Amino acid sequence: MSSQRFALALDVGGTFTDVILAERAGGHLWVTKSSSVPSDPAAGFFGGVEKIMRESGIAAEDVSIILHGSTVATNAILEGKGARTGLLTTDGFRHVLEIGRAEIPREANLFGWVKPKRPVLPRNIFEVPERVRLDGSVVTPLDEAALARVADEIEARGLDALAIVFLHSYANPDHERRAGAFLRGRLAGVEIALSVDVLPLFREYERATATALNASVQPVVGRYIGQLSKGLKDRGLAAPLFIMKSNGGTCPPEEAARGGVHLALSGPAAGAAGAAHLGRLAGFEDILTIDMGGTSADVALIRGGEPATTTTGSIGVHPLALSIVDIHTIGAGGGSKAIVTDLGAIRVGPESAGADPGPAAYGKGGTEPTVTDANLLLGKIPPHLLDGEIALDPEAAERAIKTQVADPLGIDTLAAARGIIDLVDNAMVAALKVMSVERGLDPRDFTLSAFGGAGPVHGARLMRLLTAPRLLVPRYPGILCAIGLLATDLRYGFAITRLQRAGRYDLGGMEMAFADLAAQADTRLAADGIAPEDRRIRRAVDLRYEKQGVELTIPFVGDAVTEAAIGALVENFHAEHERLYTFADPAAPVEIVNLRVEATGLTERIQLPEIAKASGKPAPDAQRLASLDAGPPVSTPIYRRNSLLADHVIHGPAIVDQLDATTVILAGQSALTDRYGNLVIREGTP
Amino acid sequence: MTDRFTLELIKGALNAARREMEALIARTAMSPFIREKKDFFTAFLNPKGELVVSTSLTLAGNLVDAILETYPAETMRYGDLYWYNDCYGTGGAVSHLPDMVFVSPVFHEGRLIAFAEAWGHLWDIGGSVPGSISPHATTVFQEGIMIPPVRVVHEGVENEEVVRIFTRNSRFPEMQKGDLKAIMAACRLGETRLTEAVARYGVDAFEQACETMITQSEQALCAQIERRIPDGDYSFRDRIDSDAVTDRSYFVDVTLRKQAGNVEADFSASDQQATGPINFLMDDSVPKFMLGLYLTMDEPGIGMNGGFERAIDRIVTRPGSVVSPRFPAPLGLRSHTMIRVTTAMFGALAQAMGGDASAASCVYVLYYLRGKNADGSEPLCIEGLAVGFGARVFADGIDAVYYVAQENYPIEFAEMEFGVEIERFGIHRDSGGAGRWRGGCGIVRDVRVLSDEAVLGIRLDNCLQPAFGVKGGLCGAPGRITLNPGTAEERELATMSDGNALKKGDLVRIVTSGGGGWGSPFDRPAEDVLGDVLDGFVGIERARADYGVVIEGETVNEVATQALRAAAPRPTEMFHRHTPYHAADDRHD
Repeated sequence: MSSQRFALALDVGGTFTDVILAERAGGHLWVTKSSSVPSDPAAGFFGGVEKIMRESGIAAEDVSIILHGSTVATNAILEGKGARTGLLTTDGFRHVLEIGRAEIPREANLFGWVKPKRPVLPRNIFEVPERVRLDGSVVTPLDEAALARVADEIEARGLDALAIVFLHSYANPDHERRAGAFLRGRLAGVEIALSVDVLPLFREYERATATALNASVQPVVGRYIGQLSKGLKDRGLAAPLFIMKSNGGTCPPEEAARGGVHLALSGPAAGAAGAAHLGRLAGFEDILTIDMGGTSADVALIRGGEPATTTTGSIGVHPLALSIVDIHTIGAGGGSKAIVTDLGAIRVGPESAGADPGPAAYGKGGTEPTVTDANLLLGKIPPHLLDGEIALDPEAAERAIKTQVADPLGIDTLAAARGIIDLVDNAMVAALKVMSVERGLDPRDFTLSAFGGAGPVHGARLMRLLTAPRLLVPRYPGILCAIGLLATDLRYGFAITRLQRAGRYDLGGMEMAFADLAAQADTRLAADGIAPEDRRIRRAVDLRYEKQGVELTIPFVGDAVTEAAIGALVENFHAEHERLYTFADPAAPVEIVNLRVEATGLTERIQLPEIAKASGKPAPDAQRLASLDAGPPVSTPIYRRNSLLADHVIHGPAIVDQLDATTVILAGQSALTDRYGNLVIREGTP
Repeated sequence: MTDRFTLELIKGALNAARREMEALIARTAMSPFIREKKDFFTAFLNPKGELVVSTSLTLAGNLVDAILETYPAETMRYGDLYWYNDCYGTGGAVSHLPDMVFVSPVFHEGRLIAFAEAWGHLWDIGGSVPGSISPHATTVFQEGIMIPPVRVVHEGVENEEVVRIFTRNSRFPEMQKGDLKAIMAACRLGETRLTEAVARYGVDAFEQACETMITQSEQALCAQIERRIPDGDYSFRDRIDSDAVTDRSYFVDVTLRKQAGNVEADFSASDQQATGPINFLMDDSVPKFMLGLYLTMDEPGIGMNGGFERAIDRIVTRPGSVVSPRFPAPLGLRSHTMIRVTTAMFGALAQAMGGDASAASCVYVLYYLRGKNADGSEPLCIEGLAVGFGARVFADGIDAVYYVAQENYPIEFAEMEFGVEIERFGIHRDSGGAGRWRGGCGIVRDVRVLSDEAVLGIRLDNCLQPAFGVKGGLCGAPGRITLNPGTAEERELATMSDGNALKKGDLVRIVTSGGGGWGSPFDRPAEDVLGDVLDGFVGIERARADYGVVIEGETVNEVATQALRAAAPRPTEMFHRHTPYHAADDRHD
């Protein structure tokens, strides 16, 4: 065992796969990028594995853990390319999924809006006589003869997956479980997901959506996980594999294969986990993060060192009521196009040139001006990518901006480029405000962290516009999601709806429900080989004022459900309500709705290597004409990220180039390199 | 001259600030109407009172004139906040009493440069019934307290007396206070954000950006009108089932007139005002906003604002009519008429543009089940129910939809909180009007009464006057409400009614109406019709009768379908309600 010193992390994105091989005790770190293969994700995964093993020369048997962030489930959901999925539900409720919450979105044009397609067509939704009340009592017993007919129909239709969602099943799972067992016996090869396993909480539309999505990705994710397990074995990599989930934790492959919907936001969650980890190391616990890539920017919030989570998130057009890292995504990236309309209005994004053809400067046939083209024209980024591996074409960038933005507006090309950057920066500031100001938080209390391929170019201006006190640019901004993988633990959420009316709380019942959830959690962690001392169980309760349609999740303190513990819980609910919504109503009846248990299995932490301490001033590597803020381009010092040492201070205006990212420091700002190689940028001097 | 990019940045800042105001209201208001139904609106206006950016709800845009009448601009001060809900007193700036309007003037160096505005629908403002809106109201005095324009905050100091008088008139005073606080804080936030934008970009750029946003919307709409609407008069009449008090049906009548670049909408031939509360005190901006939102839907970045108002020259109404009622006619259910204003405008547009307009959408449904138990408890269930919207020129009508930004209650929530059991919730099959594009379907909801006794009120429209179809599309199917279906006690209830006495165990089946279809159903691809049959939106019989598609098992009989479709009649009338008709034939009582 002692020879197994290395952790392998792979974050597979749409274009690139980021790979890190890390010596677990804080020694060497190998970093590489390989091309993803969207048509065969496993091939992309192993391309990355082979590249890093080759580059590092480390033996396969020295790898002791493999961590993986995947977009397989994400893409299957977003592109509607999951399995042919059916749904079985209570008689009389076939169209619940179709009807949804019956609203036209607030920002939509009501005359033009089209309802998005659901994950299961109504023709593949089957009804069976059965009915459970909200207290769990059975009104109509499950009709097994009808089940047999449904089984025939599913077979005849050639469906590959089935979700089973009965009304109030969280209160009594018996019918769902029996139907599941019956159909599993009858339908070999059909993946079956029960709503009591995926999301045993009230609100039938959201529960049905999560369960249907899970069923639809189960075969896809299962197949993929199978390929990974086999391929790793073939390559002599016997180390356990863990997959990143949307909740910021990981799970073993068999769990991922069963609960594919939990992988829906695997990538962005890893980014938030990485930022949280670096923030803890750098001493910052409250962070606003922006991960800007080629087509979009993801914003997340970290409080007290942990990514903030939500139960009202979404994936594409679908609501996602699972507990997931709270991510706000906008269509702003390096490839976002600048468009001037006939009426003279200008916008940047959400249309994107993507990676192919990409920005005009890529010279791959793109002719429309993008954010990257503007950054190139302004000298903010070097005229090449990946340390010169790919040359950029500044003339193509200039031509695109001149003909499609500057000329139509009658302004000069640099002004047009600056305008494009202003617009995209403002869009990102608005997104950062959605995650802070609109949630009642003041950005001045948060460190901003900008990463992703394009984030560090924009971070300094975002910090200034947001009046955030500092900006943290990670040592490896282009691969922070992979770093995040190294910093995660196993994490599972278990929850159940157990409605408790005000004044009639069933303490014994809650104790039992909690014990049951905790037992499930413990069994799960034990199965993952987590020693008892490394298991962490946190309890929480969802409460609401009577008749209110939204709940707040409040941590449950203590080991036993006593009068005193519940009293404290309700007090904390009032206080949190006051904090979030500016008012509390201590006289109003409070209902307990859901009980939650979060189980964490601590895995060995991988320490990030520290860099050498500086003994003098950093020396610029070159000068480049650049216009970082207002004003004409001026000769600007360029530093190499690799040559920066701990405690080095760079005064803006300056640019720091590295393999896959460029950091801009504005005039009046300074950047301090910390002992992990992160840049901490502030207004003024450090 | 400010550069275009700065103008865009200011536009972005205004839009973000408005969203932030909405987030604040949603986050800090207390009543379920605002917190969950999201029934509120925010806007910024220029000093002339024209909307610059706003929520895209086609309600009044003329929000500050009434304030200026009482409080001239030169008397307004930094830190002031104005408030009203008085529909008649403001000439329809607000169209029913529960909507509380707040306006904050924004100054730069002592000069008025803008207004920040927000309104929200309050839960209970007094009146004859809890919730203030009653289908039985016959005067606005039964619908709650009326606040004429008042200066509720003067230079930062709140006039608490006004607030005390107001909240004393509510059955839920604490909730009222919370909601007022939320809306007032949103106005204040809007004012702060505008001030920040001015500090950052300069007042000239700010004012220019506001004007640019308005002129861009104006130009976008003018261009669409010029391109798509030929000169001429286009008249249409649509009908409301009843006013919930009398048995009489009411109609909205419009003539859209375009002549030499001049565009007007004339509603003067609309019906007399109603006895019941469907009267709609229509601000001139309403039909302008409807036209603007419809005609510019494909123009990215064009928002609903005063530009739409500038683009349309004139709106004509007749005092004493259902769209211009005289004080003190009741107004609580004005949505029924407001939606008929939309459908009537679309009817006119359809004629102007060779059928290039949506078929009719239905009016959303609300029911109120007021329970009573032997133990003294009184569970109250108020649920909004989805309907079908009209088919579009480019897409099917929306199935099972309520309206903008208002979510329904989950079954599992309703059963927890409302003292009812929902035994069925599905699509009202065959309710969407047949067409090349199908009308949206309504829904079916079976509600079992669990309390010892209960009284049911309901507003379910488009039953006697179903949503019309356009250009060969058929009308939607009507809804109905049935008590104890399939039993010896089965009977139909009036669809716009209140005071229906129910007892424990009764089952109420509410079936809502479907939207109109667009284009000939015989042109709908047979596989789409098959899909609708398989998915439960269309029955196999209607597929054959309305669409000429013969389905056997799960496949289309191509030969039989072709034969049926070849022989299908192709009426030339533009509209359909029960039977094909020309608009002109329907414009009499």
